[in-house]
Amino acid sequence: MTTERTLLEIAVLVVIVTPAVLVATLGAPALLRRPLREAAVSRLTRAAMVIAFVAAAFALVVYFATRSTPQVLSYGTWFSFGTGGFSFDFLVDGLSLGFAALATGVCGVVAAFSGRYLHREPGYNRYFVLFAVFVTGIVLVALAGSIEVLFTGWELLGLSSALLVGFFHERRAPVVNALYVFAVYRVSDAAMLAAAVLLHHWAGSGSLALLFSGEGVPPSPLQLDQATLIAVLLIAAVAGKSALLPFSGWLPRAMEGPTPSSAVYYGALSIHAGCFLLLRAEPLLEHSLLARILAVLAGAATALYATFAARVQTDVKSALSYAALTQVGIIVVEIACGLTTLAFVHIVGHACFRLLQFLSAPNILHDLHELENALGGPVEAVEPHEASTSVRSRLYLLALERGFVDEAIDRLVVAPYYRVADQLDRLDRLLCGDRTTRGGPAATTPASTSVARDDEGRRGSPP
Amino acid sequence: MIEPLAWLVCVAALPLVIVFASHTRLHVERVRSLSVGCAVALVGVTVLVFAVPDLRAFEIPFDPGQSVLLGPSLFRVDAFSSMLVVLAAALWLLAVAVTPRTRLDRAGLRRAALATLTTMFTFATVSPALLVLSWAASLWLFLAALSAPANRHAQRVAAGYLGASTLLFAAGVVLVTRPDGRDGVGEQVGIWLLIAAALIRKGIFPFHAWVPEVFDRGRLGPALMFSAPQTGAYVTVVLIVPRASPEALRFVAILALVTACYGAALALYQRDARRSCGYLFVSQSALVMTGLECTSKGALLGSLVLWISSGLAFTGIARCILVLEARRGRLDLSRHHGGYEQMPLLATSFLVLGLACTGFPGTLGFIGEELLVDGAVEAFPIVGFFVIAAGALTGLAVLRMYFSLFCGRRGEAVHLPLRPREAISFGAVAVVLLASGIAPAPIVASRLAAAELILRSRAEGRRVSLVLDSRAVRASGPCDVYSSSRASERSWPAAVPPLAKRARPTTGAAPRRARAPTRSETPSCTATTARSPRIR
Repeated sequence: MTTERTLLEIAVLVVIVTPAVLVATLGAPALLRRPLREAAVSRLTRAAMVIAFVAAAFALVVYFATRSTPQVLSYGTWFSFGTGGFSFDFLVDGLSLGFAALATGVCGVVAAFSGRYLHREPGYNRYFVLFAVFVTGIVLVALAGSIEVLFTGWELLGLSSALLVGFFHERRAPVVNALYVFAVYRVSDAAMLAAAVLLHHWAGSGSLALLFSGEGVPPSPLQLDQATLIAVLLIAAVAGKSALLPFSGWLPRAMEGPTPSSAVYYGALSIHAGCFLLLRAEPLLEHSLLARILAVLAGAATALYATFAARVQTDVKSALSYAALTQVGIIVVEIACGLTTLAFVHIVGHACFRLLQFLSAPNILHDLHELENALGGPVEAVEPHEASTSVRSRLYLLALERGFVDEAIDRLVVAPYYRVADQLDRLDRLLCGDRTTRGGPAATTPASTSVARDDEGRRGSPP
Repeated sequence: MIEPLAWLVCVAALPLVIVFASHTRLHVERVRSLSVGCAVALVGVTVLVFAVPDLRAFEIPFDPGQSVLLGPSLFRVDAFSSMLVVLAAALWLLAVAVTPRTRLDRAGLRRAALATLTTMFTFATVSPALLVLSWAASLWLFLAALSAPANRHAQRVAAGYLGASTLLFAAGVVLVTRPDGRDGVGEQVGIWLLIAAALIRKGIFPFHAWVPEVFDRGRLGPALMFSAPQTGAYVTVVLIVPRASPEALRFVAILALVTACYGAALALYQRDARRSCGYLFVSQSALVMTGLECTSKGALLGSLVLWISSGLAFTGIARCILVLEARRGRLDLSRHHGGYEQMPLLATSFLVLGLACTGFPGTLGFIGEELLVDGAVEAFPIVGFFVIAAGALTGLAVLRMYFSLFCGRRGEAVHLPLRPREAISFGAVAVVLLASGIAPAPIVASRLAAAELILRSRAEGRRVSLVLDSRAVRASGPCDVYSSSRASERSWPAAVPPLAKRARPTTGAAPRRARAPTRSETPSCTATTARSPRIR
């Protein structure tokens, strides 16, 4: 038993530390204006991913081979304070190790692909630094044993995601869209932090093992209403990170990033991080009917919305992202219905499949030409239906405008915010004897009413 | 054992060297180099005092006729203020190291040195009269920096608000230190005057309007030297927290919580980088104030950590803006200015500093915010969540600034790379915030001792010697003190046994607002005698 635990501790430590070391190894020379060469960056990244994957797979094998029970591996205390402390705790079970192995495996594939795909791209090193930050975040989310570790991983995911959406930062659209994505993530993060604080407040501990153990009704020291509130906050956090309604508007905007990052974030891992969290919190959901209903509604509505929106997208990455969102919605419903094994298998299968689709997306014209060459002529396009009914037209418009979700948020949240902020700003100026109105909202704020267009007026993602 | 007088002389001499040098014929760049050297030395001296427990607590007593107004000691450095003097020294170093050459002048360097001296002086005293003097002196220095015609409007605004706060502060001090005014209406009025003065100085709603105005139309450098050390918070801890009623503190805490959200929300709205920075300061300053008034140990500890974190991080951000302005002129946040490729270190430092302001994991700000949120929610179950909202909005405002200032197509303007001095300074601040976020134990332990001291001083209605406190903390380990139950934390006056109970068993527990103990009753534990601060 001790040997098995020691092996698990070493393996998990390697999984966590490897990407963090990679961040420092790639980032520090770049900041000192001595960036590593492309080949070195690519090799280091691939090596780190292989090490992390082997360690995660090894831990998984050890866990199942020794028929271990879920356990918390503690690597010391960061700091402690009144209602508990912040310790480096990692929860090891089949779910966490499985997701960690999936994450490191997928990241290894993407790292290998990115090394060639981004060859001679300005910002090559920056991409891999952010990619390493992402890997650090996702393994922290996967293996987190305390809500603070989970929150740390969650934040790292959000930040790296936003910065990679704005990777082509010389153009305006990616930057504007990155800010929008980050705005939604901040809402998600705030919900997560609120859940963490309430957990500390009520349970006196941030242990996920305590929260998600499923022992007792409701779990551990929480009252039913407390468990419900925490579950609802977690669902809000999940909705933000996994683009569930009403936060779906950021997904097409996120396609501004490089294709490999879109693949790993919005096809494979980041978009499933919310599902994973929900899966983790399933014991909590079991005791909260309200939270389950909320999750079913959000998942089902998102699946329906995304399947409509996916059918009218004009670029392949947006279409794929909505297709991924459809599956995510279904996975959320599965989790809320208690079908956890099915949901996990769904996550793994969907992540791998969508990763392949995203990575092959830039090649789609080439594939089409090959197909046409093989057929000896052009592939016939599907003709649109001639007979257009009123319902179909409305559905089409609804899908084309992405359910008017962005407009609704603009009208209900952004516009009132600007009105109030404007009045307050004027008042502050007036209090200082300034009657001019030099302020005003910046054009780069997330108030734009639709997906930002880049300087060339194109919409959607770069090739 | 360090000689207190020698330490004080050293602390005073280093800025005074610059004051003297600025009057000589030395080239201004030489004066700057000398300033950097003196600032480095000052940081070293203050860090030494902070790092060595035996050096951390000393005082220079003052007892001519036991004047209440002057207090029991002229100067005192304890667990609470030992880190604040490091912060003041670090802010001076940052100021002189990264001020662009175009903004460099002898008068500015002289004012920076004098402002640092005043701040150090403030943090090293608990004497009400000396605090009034330093409060007025710092204001005078600040207003002098705004004397150029272009800054006249800002000067008028600052003079109006801060002049009023100085008058209120002086009046409040007079009222609360009247020997015959104890526990009377006069003291209550005095406390509210002190609260009003602190609110104005800290830019807490509804007295916040001067901050963005001064940042926008005034001079950013002097504004930072004046605001970033947060002497208003120090005065709050020293004079208000031990005296004010719980209701008054709750009122101030709620105002601060609202201000934190307000500032962050308006920082996101602005299109001018300086004004946005001003609102960001309002928000950060209010977050610090929130914890000081929450009267829960966690919130107080979070607030003290945030004080250090946001002081460094916010100053770093504002200095980044100054550095960019020197290259590009006024910065409009509605445009994308580009330049990441030319200044990746500045961009990354800006991002790290901004993230530290938002409480991002891995930075010192995270520790402070996590503790503060926890304590604030404990004290105010609903309004406490404003801290989370403020953090979210601040994060958005910071990232928007980052995208605007460093992303976008390169324009026609020449992009000058960072000078080595600037690169080292910004890189060092970012590394300090990251390193202290990853390994926060020393800072948390230090702030824990300070929080214990503040709570104890409130429980007894007075400040006490740090010597006992640091012994208690050392005896129980750096963080064990927090293993107490939450219930005991909530009712801190009962949870923290009064010093008198431990050290003066014969006299019993000194009731709150009781008479000030005579010197013979006061515990004398070390060479740094714990004198009774007969402030009240």
